[in-house]
Amino acid sequence: MFQEGALSGLKVVELSDQISGQVAGSFCARLLGDAGADVVKVESLQGDPYRRTGPYPGGVPDPDWSGLFLYLNSNKRGVSLDIESPEGRAALLELVAASDFLVLGQNSLEVERLGLRREKLAVANPGLIVTTITPFGLTGPNSAYLGDDLIAISAGGMAYATPGIPDSVGDPDLEPPLRSNTNMAGYLAGVQGAMASVAALLSRTIQGTGCEIDLSMQEAVAAVMPFELAHASYHEAKPRKPEVFGVMPNAYLPCQDGYVVVMAVMEAHWRNLMDLADNPDWAELEVFSSGVERARNWDALEPLLLEWTMAHTGAEIAQLAQDRGIPCFPAYTVGQMVDSAHVTERGFMVDMQGPGGQKFKLPGYPVRLERTPWQLFRPAPKLGEHTSEVLGEWLGYSAEQLLKFGVGAR
Amino acid sequence: MNVLPLQGVRIADFGQIIAVPYTAQMLAWLGAEVVLIETEQRLTTRIWPPFAEAEPGVNRSGGFNMVNSGKMSCTLNLRDPDGVELARQIISVSDVVMENYSSGTMERMGLGYQDVHSLRPDVIYLSLGAFGRTGPMKDLVGFHSVINLFSGLASVTGHKGSHPRIMGGLFPDAFSGCYCVLALLEALYHRANTGEGQHIEVAMTEALATLLPEAVMEYTLDGTEPERVGNRHKEKAPHNVFPCQGEENWVAISVENDVQFQALANVAGNPGWADDPRFATSEARLKHQDELEPLIQQWTERLQVQEVVRGLQDAGVPAGPVLDSAQVLSDPHMIERGFVQFPGHSVVGPRPLGAFPWAVDGGQPGVARSAPLFGEHNVKVLQELLQVPDAEFKRLVENGVIA
Repeated sequence: MFQEGALSGLKVVELSDQISGQVAGSFCARLLGDAGADVVKVESLQGDPYRRTGPYPGGVPDPDWSGLFLYLNSNKRGVSLDIESPEGRAALLELVAASDFLVLGQNSLEVERLGLRREKLAVANPGLIVTTITPFGLTGPNSAYLGDDLIAISAGGMAYATPGIPDSVGDPDLEPPLRSNTNMAGYLAGVQGAMASVAALLSRTIQGTGCEIDLSMQEAVAAVMPFELAHASYHEAKPRKPEVFGVMPNAYLPCQDGYVVVMAVMEAHWRNLMDLADNPDWAELEVFSSGVERARNWDALEPLLLEWTMAHTGAEIAQLAQDRGIPCFPAYTVGQMVDSAHVTERGFMVDMQGPGGQKFKLPGYPVRLERTPWQLFRPAPKLGEHTSEVLGEWLGYSAEQLLKFGVGAR
Repeated sequence: MNVLPLQGVRIADFGQIIAVPYTAQMLAWLGAEVVLIETEQRLTTRIWPPFAEAEPGVNRSGGFNMVNSGKMSCTLNLRDPDGVELARQIISVSDVVMENYSSGTMERMGLGYQDVHSLRPDVIYLSLGAFGRTGPMKDLVGFHSVINLFSGLASVTGHKGSHPRIMGGLFPDAFSGCYCVLALLEALYHRANTGEGQHIEVAMTEALATLLPEAVMEYTLDGTEPERVGNRHKEKAPHNVFPCQGEENWVAISVENDVQFQALANVAGNPGWADDPRFATSEARLKHQDELEPLIQQWTERLQVQEVVRGLQDAGVPAGPVLDSAQVLSDPHMIERGFVQFPGHSVVGPRPLGAFPWAVDGGQPGVARSAPLFGEHNVKVLQELLQVPDAEFKRLVENGVIA
């Protein structure tokens, strides 16, 4: 049965970095499309940079089948315009004037250069909500700084904090701060940009006018580390060591066939864990008598726990521990996650098919909304696929007008 | 001042530890009235470090105060039927209910979605679980590290040739929380338009898996597992963190194209790098990173972090400091933007926290207020809101139903 999304009937224009690409702006707009909004992605004539980064279903580069592009741009229509030309710019501004949201995924210099600040745009469209996602924000002493995922993860505090609890840094001199090999800051800022946009929509229903959202990727990263910031705010900055979680064991340890998290910070969990280890004599020692004591004496406890983990596989440890409600788990590969009965049964992954019939999957939507469920309303657009359709539908351009600025071809 | 978007929305928050408390806190800052229902028998962050001045106390925990500010605290013994009845009454006057207990806990108390829905048909009810509320692993327990390890995120995090590592910052909790905030705002908008409430279910493992589209695609195409690459990037070089003067000081540098590399070479006082065939093009630099990175390090380690950042940014090269948590909270840029806020607190005094990562028309979109003391709002919630009579309130306190 077809159900509409929560944002059905609302219009979104997205313009992301035409040279470097930006995950955040594209993901933000996709999330609004996921909720049913009519999202129009405006690309240059060359197309979004992520059309050229892959991975590709057949291994052969094809701008319409680049994996990251497909993922970031489903539930959108695609319009291709040369916004540096007078006609292209006029069309962009008309689309924005007809829209509820403008999502900009650029650096702040580019936002200014393009003249896409809400102050100007609101003259024609007072209800417009402009969501800008820039590396360091539109204001403040560092606002002109350029940045990408690595820069945001670093300047937002997460690289320093990684590896994180309970994974220990062996030797801080040898182990630099670490980023995950994903566009994490972009996804994070994208979700927060969508949050900010819908919050602004709720404000608009109260006060009648839109607003300009100035989201900083640096802050988007810092904002999801409340516990890490609490250490700095309440006690002292976390040294790059494991035991400061304060209660132990909460440790990432090698086991027979890989790595495993052993977490028993609650007393009941600790007692159950010691049962599993056949209640060794040391379990009764005063120095291990509470979570805080076990943290204080972690150097003594760690080798004792290692004896137990090295005698088992990760799967055994997880099975034994989880049966007793202790949160232990081994490091999964991507394949183990994708192929797990759990992910399969929940139907999380979305089945895709490439141009040569290649079957593959992409992650689905992590939220189940009972009345306004997520749907793949439409796959990511081919380059320029909906240029005439959208310009005709939203702006009433005639076939003749479309030809005039060279978009009649598709 | 912008109108707070959630004025007039009441939330019953059964959140545990971080993910749902973080969600409810953001909604509180956006104007919602959030009643946090706490149980003395099952305290978590309130009794965990870090504590102000390292002195334990239920009102002194940074871990609690930084994800529960702006809420009201109501302390009910949910193991007592009278406590559950009071919780049910709070729910009956709430627009939103949210919880992240273990699967089945709310149902066992008679406070599951079906129970609440019959009490209040337009309720928006959010359940978050580590693995979600359905599927063979729904009953597994897991905190952020387990989510990291299951989702495959750890598998793409780590140094070249080395084992999987866990991302810092208890990231999965708050990241899942962001998806929850988005879903709840959408559901509130939908309810405003249609009068319909709904059930919302979130799996933290799935929230994290949304970070891995390329890895999932490559694995499902031909079984390829991602390699761990440290801080390197498949298309950009140099792309890493480099040590600077002093202890534990690092700068992040990301060069996207040859023009930026020439600019870096100039700033580093080695313009010839850009003519070196090993480094002249992106393709060449990607091949010769092992030779290039030590050269850059020899330059950065003589300088302060900010000298490198300013020099590179002035020349149009993306660079940034690697900040630790204390540096985040004292960063002049983020303070000026209003991200770092200092809500007061009657026990621990004002403490900096990270508020909204976005500004609206130049100001914060909401207000970060102080975190509640344990049971601070029992009278306000139970007597003013629910109209529990004095004698009954006294009896409930004496019986340990209200802590």
